[in-house]
Amino acid sequence: MRVTNMLPDVQYQMQLSQQALATATQQLSTGLRVNQLSDDPTASANMVVSLADSADIDQYTSNVSTLIPQMQPADSAISSIVTALNSAVTLGTEGANGTNNTQDKQELASQVQSILTTVVGQANTAYNGVYVFGGSESTTPPFVAASTTYNSSQGTVATPLTANTALTAGSVTTISDATTGETVTFKAAAGDTVATLQQAIAGGVVAGTLSPGTTATINAQGQLTIGSNSASDGIVVSSNDSVLGTMNADPTTAVANAYAYVGNSNVNTVQVGDDLSVATNVPGNQLFTSGANVIGSLGNLITALQSGTATQIGTATNAITTALNYVDQQRVPLDNTINQLNDQESYLGQEKVTLTSQETALVGINTADAATNFSQAQLDNSAVLAAAAKVLPQTLLQYLQ
Amino acid sequence: MSLNASLSIALESLNAASGALQATNNNIANANTPGYTREVPILEEALPTDLGNNINVGDGVDLVRYQSVRDELLQTQVQQETQAQSGANAQLASLQQIQPVFTTSAQDIGTDMSAFFSSVSALSTNPSSASSRQAVLTAGQNLATAFNTASNTLTSQQSSLNTQVTQDVSQINQLTQQIAALNPPIAALRDQGQDGGTLEDQQNQLILSLSKLTNISVTQSNDGVTLSTGNGTALVVGNQSYNLQTAVGSNGMTQVLDQNGINITSSISSGDLGGTIQTRDTTIPNLLTQLDTLANQFGSAVNSAQASGYDENGNAGQDLFTFPPTVPPAVAPVAGSASTITMAVTDPTLIAASSDGTAGSNGNLANLSAVQTTALPSGQTPGSAYASLVYQVGSLTANANAESTATTSSLVQLNDQINSVSGVSIDEESANLITYQQAYEAAARVVSTVQSLFSVVMAMGTAAAE
Repeated sequence: MRVTNMLPDVQYQMQLSQQALATATQQLSTGLRVNQLSDDPTASANMVVSLADSADIDQYTSNVSTLIPQMQPADSAISSIVTALNSAVTLGTEGANGTNNTQDKQELASQVQSILTTVVGQANTAYNGVYVFGGSESTTPPFVAASTTYNSSQGTVATPLTANTALTAGSVTTISDATTGETVTFKAAAGDTVATLQQAIAGGVVAGTLSPGTTATINAQGQLTIGSNSASDGIVVSSNDSVLGTMNADPTTAVANAYAYVGNSNVNTVQVGDDLSVATNVPGNQLFTSGANVIGSLGNLITALQSGTATQIGTATNAITTALNYVDQQRVPLDNTINQLNDQESYLGQEKVTLTSQETALVGINTADAATNFSQAQLDNSAVLAAAAKVLPQTLLQYLQ
Repeated sequence: MSLNASLSIALESLNAASGALQATNNNIANANTPGYTREVPILEEALPTDLGNNINVGDGVDLVRYQSVRDELLQTQVQQETQAQSGANAQLASLQQIQPVFTTSAQDIGTDMSAFFSSVSALSTNPSSASSRQAVLTAGQNLATAFNTASNTLTSQQSSLNTQVTQDVSQINQLTQQIAALNPPIAALRDQGQDGGTLEDQQNQLILSLSKLTNISVTQSNDGVTLSTGNGTALVVGNQSYNLQTAVGSNGMTQVLDQNGINITSSISSGDLGGTIQTRDTTIPNLLTQLDTLANQFGSAVNSAQASGYDENGNAGQDLFTFPPTVPPAVAPVAGSASTITMAVTDPTLIAASSDGTAGSNGNLANLSAVQTTALPSGQTPGSAYASLVYQVGSLTANANAESTATTSSLVQLNDQINSVSGVSIDEESANLITYQQAYEAAARVVSTVQSLFSVVMAMGTAAAE
């Protein structure tokens, strides 16, 4: 084969070796084997998935970090309530021993009242504006002082509400009973009237959700009155129906030491792992009213100490002991969740390390390899340049001179 | 044999040596001229002179012609390889501009999609937090913007390629005119039994330039070179060139038409025009369709999850994203979804986190989060669909790069082979220079000797007269 001009070949070889040198330099300076998608399309696509996983892990870790301090106030509140209930049991036991005179018992009742205030305060614990025991109804305090009578703001003597007054479809009216600890939620359907609401309340009484005697009537002012008809059975009523307007408590009917739960039973869950979600709240009715009515039993003890017999005081104290044991049991799942979150935090840390090392394996290059590649590319480039310098000047003319 | 005959042979010899020196000189002068084919002087023995008595004597040398040393097969291979290389380079150049949009960065779709789902997850820890709700809206808008940017990059690239088609066609027409103009003089030289030489070199260079633009078929005839397009439409026949035309097609893209107005766009498969059309009409539309499908199905899935919950005011969730309405069936890609997707809401309270209508419920956020792990109608999760898109962009770029590298390497080898046949070797020409110089000197010596002999003869004549 005739060899005429070696320059194009030499130029091509120099270009190749300089490209290799540039690639080796980039790998060494970035620590990455894959600097653009075309360097390794499969690794680049896998990297997209891996980075998404990594972002999930970061978010789960962030969720855990947010939830732990968020759940600790609930745990502390329950702890305080348990301590307070223990004190109440002690006071009740003291009041039931038959040696106390009326003044002693009034004093004990006063101390229990103070405990009740503490317990209600703890049950209305908020963290960052969220009432931790309100279920998903967490933007307002879940335990509200009860009254016996609520009147609608709508309705006048001139234009009274009647049993036939139509309610707004989709509107919700709730009646929370402090004594039973239960709530009747009435959601108006199309065609429902005040009479339908009255029937729902009557049904709640039959079911035991509401205290006996709770009714809805139209008062002399033409307003809807929902009341317990018993001085000791407090309720809290709310409605978002514009036909009824705001349901206002009659201030003269406030029931001492009675609080109704106006939260709901819903539990929020938060994902803290690909296959792990945790419940982040315990609804207040589950803790303090449904299983054993903690707040109601404290109110009963106060009443017993104020005016009851030793036996009645003893019965009320036993009820508090039962409530105490119940609350203590309910606390266990909450504590377990907090422990689970702490464990998950460690697990996520390990997962993050695994993913990072997986990402390095996908697109990274270890320093030793990068340095070796660079050194090799440098050597190759030097060799090509040296060969070019030797070969290109060689012509016959040199020897003919 | 007379002295005159000897002088005549010596003169022819001087001519031949001088002519050969001229060829060598021309070769040396064009040693680095692109497309130059080395010339060799074709020397032949002159017909012998009959001296009678069956005695024939050689009558010197004739310089018959100059011959360019070519290998047409190799030239055809170079043309074809150049077409493939230019096609690959055109695709590579476009894909290298598209690639960064799909490369992991702070603003790519994958990162913004992860950020969106992270913001939804963060909101689940405190669904009534205004800042967390705002973070979901911001992340959603960032993701919509990432879709817009990716789509706009693709369409803007497509638009640039469309302009390139018109430019390429214009250059092709110029080249075919120049090539056709060279056919008559080359044919005339051939008719005279001469080599096309420099004119043929120029024509070959023009054909090579044309090969960089489009795929062509080259055949030789008595009228010179005949060129046709990939589907056989004539571009150059004899001294006639046929211009390609352009027209805007129904898809808004420039189409290439032959001289009869027939659309030949799809038959242009290589060269810069072929690579440009391939990227403009196949690669980018394919990526755009997938991007539109992803944006549309992702947005629909989020909107559907929204609809199953309640916003902070207790109202049923409304759409978070807007884009062109889905055409049934739901899997049908909707053109323009990626370029137009945007957030439908700006009020953070409208995020439907709640499953029970209360502000504190996060029950519906699980549905929004589930979009991340649920297969879209396309059969893939949003993350997998995007990863698949990333793979395709990377793979297309890598393939174009490999094709470009392979054809470049192949061209280097083919040019080596062509140079081994047609290239000028300075060493060889230096040796030729010495050879022809010596031949010239020797012929001149013969002239000198004959001149001496003439002088002797003339002296003999003078002496006899005296």
